[in-house]
Amino acid sequence: MSIAASLAIIILAALIHSSFQLSLSVLTILSGHTIGSKNTQKKLFSLTTSFIFGAGLITLLLSSAVVLILINLFGSNSPQVVWAGGCGLLFGVAISVWLFYYRREKGTALWIPRGVAKYLLIRTKATKMKSEAFSLGMTSVAGEILFIIAPLFIGSLAITQLPAPWQLLGILIYTEISLSSLTIIWFLIGRGKTLGKIQKWRETNKYFLQFAAGAGLIILSLFVYVYEILGTTVGGL
Amino acid sequence: MSLTVDIIKSGGNRPSEPFRRIKLYKSLVSVCMSVKVPQGQAEDIADSVCKNVINWLKDKTEVTSNDIRTVAAKHLKRLHQEAAYLYEQHHIII
Repeated sequence: MSIAASLAIIILAALIHSSFQLSLSVLTILSGHTIGSKNTQKKLFSLTTSFIFGAGLITLLLSSAVVLILINLFGSNSPQVVWAGGCGLLFGVAISVWLFYYRREKGTALWIPRGVAKYLLIRTKATKMKSEAFSLGMTSVAGEILFIIAPLFIGSLAITQLPAPWQLLGILIYTEISLSSLTIIWFLIGRGKTLGKIQKWRETNKYFLQFAAGAGLIILSLFVYVYEILGTTVGGL
Repeated sequence: MSLTVDIIKSGGNRPSEPFRRIKLYKSLVSVCMSVKVPQGQAEDIADSVCKNVINWLKDKTEVTSNDIRTVAAKHLKRLHQEAAYLYEQHHIII
């Protein structure tokens, strides 16, 4: 696989990762509590920044761990059955996203275990310090592992195809892009956009976001299937 | 101010508790401030909504926390739509 094709897969996988909403919901609530509790703008900035760093670190660690496991198991040339498994995972998660991602009710409640959602809500309310916000960011990414596992896996698989010096860059690119939606919300809140407007936009467009995430996974699945499986078996690419 | 009204918590897993005005008041001030309403105005709005909720509670002995939230949101909507929207959304964001 060429460097350009690997990077394309990494970037698309990371964009799909960033379209998942649990961390955004937690960041929105965290900001609401911080502003509502009469904290300063500086406190808001430090808590939300720590949250994003936490989300970034866990993404970096997860991605690195999957890359390490894949390299130990298969070296830098993963067999086609692994790619086929990755395609199947992408396809399965895409269908799940289309069917289940948002609960069929008002608001932006997600199809994650209610216990996890409740725990995150309680922890978000209790978050007062940077270290708590940091671990909340990590937890929120872990809470959505069922959905992010597919783009994370295929992104990591593409990273293993890169030459060694590029692999670290690949992991950093994946992490950076996967944080893009969080960074946008962080920026908007910092610029004074009210949470009501942000949440209203999220609620109004939730089914579009759901469709886009599912469609992105299908497109990525087809691209990987055609490029990596058909392309090599038929010998065209 | 405290009424003799029991609040049944959502989900029914936690024990019920007596209605406490200060708890409602604080949550309303907080939600108003989170949509950039100045503190003084937020306190006025919270005060007005609390009065309406207490008025509604007068002939009741037991209500759910969701009932309180719905009634408070209805009154808050007349005073500040965006705050009311966020108040309603609070438990359905995640």
